[in-house]
Amino acid sequence: MATSKKVITREEWEKRLNDVKIRKEDMNRLVMNFLVTEGYVEAAEKFRKESGTDPDIDLATITDRMAVKKAVQAGNVEDAIEKVNDLNPEILDTNPQLFFHLQQQRLIELIRNGKVEEALEFAQEELAPRGEENQSFLEELEKTVALLAFEDVSNCPIGELLDVSQRLKTASEVNAAILTSQSHEKDPKLPSLLKMLIWAQNQLGEKAVYPRINDLSTATLEDPAV
Amino acid sequence: MDASLTLSLSHTNSDTHDLIGSYFLQQWRLKSRAAAAKYESVGVAGSQLLMEVESEESEEDKEELPTELDTLNSSGGFSIVGSNKLSVHYPNVNLHGHDVGVVQANRPAPSKRLVYYFEMYVNNAGTKGQVAIGFTTSGFKLRRQPGWESNSYGYHGDDGLLYRGQGKGEAFGPVYSTGDTVGGGINYASQELFFTKNGAVVGTVFKDVKGPLFPTVAVHSQNEAVTINFGKNPFVFDLKAYEAQERAKQNSTIEKLSIPQDASYGIVRSYLQHYGYEDTLRTFDVESRSTLPPISFVQENGFTEDMNMYSLNQRKVLRQLIRSGQIGDAFGKLREWYPQIVQGGASAICFLLHCQNFIELVRVGKLEEAVLYGRTEFEKFYKLGDYDDLVKDCAALLAYEQPQKSSVGYLLGDSQREIVADAVNAMVLSTNPSVKYSRECLHSRLDRLLRQLSACFLEKRALNGDQGEALHLHRILNSGRKG
Repeated sequence: MATSKKVITREEWEKRLNDVKIRKEDMNRLVMNFLVTEGYVEAAEKFRKESGTDPDIDLATITDRMAVKKAVQAGNVEDAIEKVNDLNPEILDTNPQLFFHLQQQRLIELIRNGKVEEALEFAQEELAPRGEENQSFLEELEKTVALLAFEDVSNCPIGELLDVSQRLKTASEVNAAILTSQSHEKDPKLPSLLKMLIWAQNQLGEKAVYPRINDLSTATLEDPAV
Repeated sequence: MDASLTLSLSHTNSDTHDLIGSYFLQQWRLKSRAAAAKYESVGVAGSQLLMEVESEESEEDKEELPTELDTLNSSGGFSIVGSNKLSVHYPNVNLHGHDVGVVQANRPAPSKRLVYYFEMYVNNAGTKGQVAIGFTTSGFKLRRQPGWESNSYGYHGDDGLLYRGQGKGEAFGPVYSTGDTVGGGINYASQELFFTKNGAVVGTVFKDVKGPLFPTVAVHSQNEAVTINFGKNPFVFDLKAYEAQERAKQNSTIEKLSIPQDASYGIVRSYLQHYGYEDTLRTFDVESRSTLPPISFVQENGFTEDMNMYSLNQRKVLRQLIRSGQIGDAFGKLREWYPQIVQGGASAICFLLHCQNFIELVRVGKLEEAVLYGRTEFEKFYKLGDYDDLVKDCAALLAYEQPQKSSVGYLLGDSQREIVADAVNAMVLSTNPSVKYSRECLHSRLDRLLRQLSACFLEKRALNGDQGEALHLHRILNSGRKG
């Protein structure tokens, strides 16, 4: 049997909300962390000036990171690999999976551009040896090479590899690896806090009925359903 | 013009203005109090620390911790507590089960946190090694082993068993003896007790007692002697790592939840609008148009967008002036653009601006000018009575050769300018005829979400017998930084 929940009225709840102390500096830091992690380098620079908030990373490194990300997104994987190595050669040395995914993306781009021979040669020389080291790499390699077997890839089951989303996936993996190498978290903190809000509201919802915020895009307090 | 006349003239807006004014005065007072408290605790020598962030722990989270053994109520004379109140020994031969030398800490374990933990070092396991560590409630019979009686828990050295509420133990961890360090902890998130031996967790047990628990140790055979560490010395167990691991467990549950993909983007954007960070906003918009994939963010409904964009450029200009210390110019712009805000000259916003102007004069060393300015402007506020503490803070700046190192040094920090700039920003927002609730002018959407988050944490804890931690935004912001 459900135990009765504590009911908190809007008035009581609003009083509690007003008693909470949120520091402006902390909010500024959250916003800066978002701009920096997501790579809004110009905006981060402007925000530093307008709000006096120091970024938690050297802004120059954002430009380099974004250049790598954009290169992958545009399909220039070789260029991206070179840029990553310029930034810090250890990133790829210590992330075999990331390196494999970049090489795989390179293969995908060759296939996309109809360079069949080059693609085959690249697969056999560069990717196959890595596949031998790792079963999951091998499976991914086979799947990718299979793209060559279809004349019309748009309808084949593995056609998704040619989709923009595959580039974005690889780009975000590189982005995360670079951030990690810079001792920075790979994700901004704001989305985690928003998830925490959903979680905390649900947890409290088990014991109390109170005004909730269900729509993050308006942050409107909704009257408790009693 | 006298004050009462001013009030009647600005009657329509006075409630809103009062609310906004008192909100920012309150912000200031919080800073003032924090600075004073910090100054007192660190003294003059450490006063440079004043400019740094104040303690992240909020007042309501401060609980008194167990610091030593209780010598008043403890043990019916079967054991002897050392003069430092951190050691116990059992001098006699034990005769039965009711002459245990059991001692509780002077205070119960604090609960408004993630984990409580303490340690015991076994100096001597005596003739039988019947040492024990555990937790007991305030009414515990102080002649019995922890765990033998109901509402108590004990990890016993001679058999490594866990006792909870009865004379029969259950399989738990290894035995421990002379030279070993064991620890007892309470994990408020999982509602479990855990025990360690020489730095490693040996087992956990569900905590079914809801009320306060006292750290407790026991000795029960001749020459047994133990030393307790309530945290004054470093623990053998890596408590920080344990806490981090527990938080990571919770976070992995939280990370699985899903939120609309562009929620953060929209919140950041409205934050920039709310505070008038116009340059950042424009750049942010340009940059987000060129991202891949382009942000598919649906523009907010026209109304909210209008509200947020209201007088954005003027708010930006005012903020820039205040942040660079050009208070006179900011005043001038306000008189020109929003005379209703500074009308009468006796409102809280005027007070904030006058104080800041005074502070800026002190900053650049124009002390005589500052004195004159203060004499002209402060008197009327002083008479109003609501501001005398803050006027005193400002005036005190004059007393020091190096005011930034004094207890009112906080006034010279950037955050004081920020309060004034935010207050003016909120005031300007409130002049928007379509504003319905003045609170909208005070709190950005991000602010409201964080308040909700924090309130949920506090209420959840209150409904859980005051157990568990509050939201520490500061800790979250500082986490993930290495080196």
